[in-house]
Amino acid sequence: MKLLTWLVIGVALLEATIPAVLGAQKPLTVTGVRGVTFGAVFPGVPRVVSRTDPANAGQFDVGNAKFAPIQLSFTLPSAMVGPAGATMPLVFGGSDAGYSSPETITSQVGFDPKQPFATTLDKNGKAAVFIGGTAQPAPAQRAGAYTATITLTVTVLP
Amino acid sequence: MRISQLSLAALALVVFSATAAQAQSNNASITATANVQTPINVLGAQQLNFGNVFPGVNKPVAATDLTNAGRFDVTGQALAPVTLSFTLPATLSSGANTMPIDTYSGIYALNSAQTGGIGFNPVTGASPSLSATGGLFVWVGARVTPATNQAQGVYSANVTMTVVY
Repeated sequence: MKLLTWLVIGVALLEATIPAVLGAQKPLTVTGVRGVTFGAVFPGVPRVVSRTDPANAGQFDVGNAKFAPIQLSFTLPSAMVGPAGATMPLVFGGSDAGYSSPETITSQVGFDPKQPFATTLDKNGKAAVFIGGTAQPAPAQRAGAYTATITLTVTVLP
Repeated sequence: MRISQLSLAALALVVFSATAAQAQSNNASITATANVQTPINVLGAQQLNFGNVFPGVNKPVAATDLTNAGRFDVTGQALAPVTLSFTLPATLSSGANTMPIDTYSGIYALNSAQTGGIGFNPVTGASPSLSATGGLFVWVGARVTPATNQAQGVYSANVTMTVVY
């Protein structure tokens, strides 16, 4: 009986100090919501998409990790691939990514997508991440459709 | 007995601490897309031809002169807006001799018959759009002003048009 009492007290104390651990923990989710759309690109004319562009900026949603310290890391392509293997450089600037705790494109903290970005999710456990970039077609860029893949990895920090 | 109770509590602490230390990681991907349009091509299709010129007699060639006006043919992305700019000589040359050229005029149209053509000043350029088939025709006229003692010869110079999206 005494043993059981000690065990219950121990568990109660742990619940008071580490509620997130002892509560049911949902898995962290990362969802690709929208791609980066450069649209019509003219040879020799760089095309910029801002992370604040509501129609063309890329977006990821992060969820299910209340108050969790997280790190965002992008895997970024250096070029888009088009017809017959033609490539077109794709460049990301020092403020081409944005983190939004309220999940709105109009309220972001800008960061360099080439570098890991650490932050903490709020009480809602959700956030949105936006990204833009610059396509750099050559003057003789081959006409046609070009694509590339952008990956966001979110890690909950210990 | 006391030691066993403490050990049990300690064991519980270790178990729950181990659970708290597990890290989560997840990822997702999106696609970047672009549609590169047709490159611009410019062809010098016809020379600006003043023909026979007499000393002291100015000779103009209107941009509307389909036979003698200079003409450039442009091809590119259908319906795309473009900007035309020109490098215009101030003189024609024949060896060491020169003859002034001035009063440039321009017309652009979506067909080679110049139907519906729009006049413009080549000095300042123009900003038309290509046709539904990606074409544009541009004519250039000017005037030469030979001196009364203009030396006989064949005079020429280059007129250059640059087209960009």
